[in-house]
Amino acid sequence: MAATRNGAVLVGGDSMTFAPTYGSPFVLDFENKRRYGTIEDLNQFHKLAYMQKSMHFTGGIICEPVDVPVPKRHLHIAYSLLKWSDKPLMGATTSRERAEDSVAMAQLAFGEEFIRDHTVMTSIINCNSPLVWDSTMLDALKVYSENNQSVIVSPFVLAGANTPASSTASVAQLNAEALAGIAFGQAWHAGAPTIYGQFLVAVSMKSGAPMAGTPELGLMNLMVGQLARRYGLPWRSSGMLSGSKLTDAQAAYESMANMFPIMFARSNLIMHAAGWLEGGLTAGFAKFMLDCEQVEMLYRFAQGPQFGDFDAAMDAVRAVGPGSHYLGTPHTQEHFQTAFFLPDLADNGTYEQWLAEGAKDSNQRALEAARKALDEYEEPKLDEGRNEALLDYMAKREAELPDDVT
Amino acid sequence: MPGGSRQGDSIMADDDLDLSTLPDDELVAQMHDDLYDGLKEEIEEGVNLLLGRGWTPYKVLTEALVEGMRIVGIDFRDGILFVPEVLMAANAMKGGMYILRPLLAETGAEKMGTVVIGTVKGDIHDIGKNLVGMMLEGAGFEVFDIGINTPVEEYLEALEKHDADILGMSALLTTTMPYMKVVVDKMKEKGIRNDYIVLVGGAPLNEEFANSVGADAYCRDAAVAVETAKQMMASRQGSVAARMKADAAAAGA
Repeated sequence: MAATRNGAVLVGGDSMTFAPTYGSPFVLDFENKRRYGTIEDLNQFHKLAYMQKSMHFTGGIICEPVDVPVPKRHLHIAYSLLKWSDKPLMGATTSRERAEDSVAMAQLAFGEEFIRDHTVMTSIINCNSPLVWDSTMLDALKVYSENNQSVIVSPFVLAGANTPASSTASVAQLNAEALAGIAFGQAWHAGAPTIYGQFLVAVSMKSGAPMAGTPELGLMNLMVGQLARRYGLPWRSSGMLSGSKLTDAQAAYESMANMFPIMFARSNLIMHAAGWLEGGLTAGFAKFMLDCEQVEMLYRFAQGPQFGDFDAAMDAVRAVGPGSHYLGTPHTQEHFQTAFFLPDLADNGTYEQWLAEGAKDSNQRALEAARKALDEYEEPKLDEGRNEALLDYMAKREAELPDDVT
Repeated sequence: MPGGSRQGDSIMADDDLDLSTLPDDELVAQMHDDLYDGLKEEIEEGVNLLLGRGWTPYKVLTEALVEGMRIVGIDFRDGILFVPEVLMAANAMKGGMYILRPLLAETGAEKMGTVVIGTVKGDIHDIGKNLVGMMLEGAGFEVFDIGINTPVEEYLEALEKHDADILGMSALLTTTMPYMKVVVDKMKEKGIRNDYIVLVGGAPLNEEFANSVGADAYCRDAAVAVETAKQMMASRQGSVAARMKADAAAAGA
């Protein structure tokens, strides 16, 4: 269970939760330009994630704020997460010290006592496959586990390169890596909230680049889901992945081809569910919006067929009879808004209407939607005292930390 | 079949082929095939045969090996050969170079180039760096891979110890890539920056970043790293690439 400032998000059991893309050095911005991410980009992504009902988590480093010096960067990321959203967040794992700062800032935002009893954040602890758990990651795991904050123990699988050229043996390897990491965490701090994870892409033997949406990845995700249920562990997967550089057809079909088996595999936390492009090197604003809409639809799909109003709907069949239509029936009046998902970003109107509206493609429509959302954004209220405490903490730490990498 | 020999029908005959019976031109053509197919022992045999016939180490290197790997490079670039096949070819090349390297040094011949390569401090992600190292070896470079999590002192020590021409640095993380600047700045401080070609690579990098840290070039993948290393060596006196360029210019004149 991950707590927000106004509620809770369950990770595990039958629940399925979504988090945005994570860790991209580049953004595909509002001018369709690929460039290094900035703190302003990250603030905007956090605001968008806060507003999107399909995202259960604000995420973490949706894009890397490359304009902030590395030693101080994690402070600004944590502040952005806590200031612009109230959903569960993700913490830094690149050193023990940075993990401790992430926890300390969450304590200031939520209250120290609250944090002791509630898990408000999760963090990615990557195995450097094949078969290496390094001290940096495990140090971060220790910090979060000791503070009742969850970790995603996650082999970083580039199938074919750091696993064998076999999808089944790759699953066997990643499973062993994940279980070893989980066992370490539980040995360090028994009962620490832990998610069985994997990041899963295949490697193109043409170039060494990561690929997603390919058939074996779907099968591997289904296998990992079965293993997770066998162990009784909540599990994390990686959803809307693509190698495309643009918000184009490849971006859309690879993402959905990757996502559908994950839905059937009933993953509990699906990361990279919005914004991912270019094998994760780029976070796209348009892709973020389009993915969020797809995820909303998938969420509905995962709920299965609904029979709640079945009898009333069948009464409508009898009332309307042969010919005619249902548009005016009381049942339709009551249910049309929810019966069939109505996407906002997909254009299904007439050709002439589309032309009259500027003949916009999905990328353009999504960018406009993102702009509009940011214009209408309302900040969730972080208590002024807590905000001050966070700013004081950052100022203190910034004074202590070096100005740049040494 | 992807990655099969371009002169595929020669595969069947390989088992029975006695390389020593081939005249020079056919042997060299066969060695190009054998490099393509990643046959290390055959390459070692071919190198020894040519040396036995009085070829200079330089001629064996350029005409049999470098030319063979040039063909491999083209087919890799064009998506005909795949990464595991190129690594096998590079391994065969390495076998040939192992024989030639001391002879090249003895004869005072030009060298392909010496590379010190390592993943920067704080970073342990080295698949890309390993690939680049192997591909550079495949192109005939002598490569000293000093591993992961490399502090500036180790880079500088290795550059001096191995009398290197090229420094290669990699990083996968945005949090570790700024360390490249620490290394280049230290080289400047010591007045040795321009003694070396500095190449950088890794997924989160781009050309703008490479410029900002003071590197000579950003290499987006292993094939480009090899190409860039060769190009840069061509303007460095005493290198095979420089002599080949001069020879080609003289032949054209």
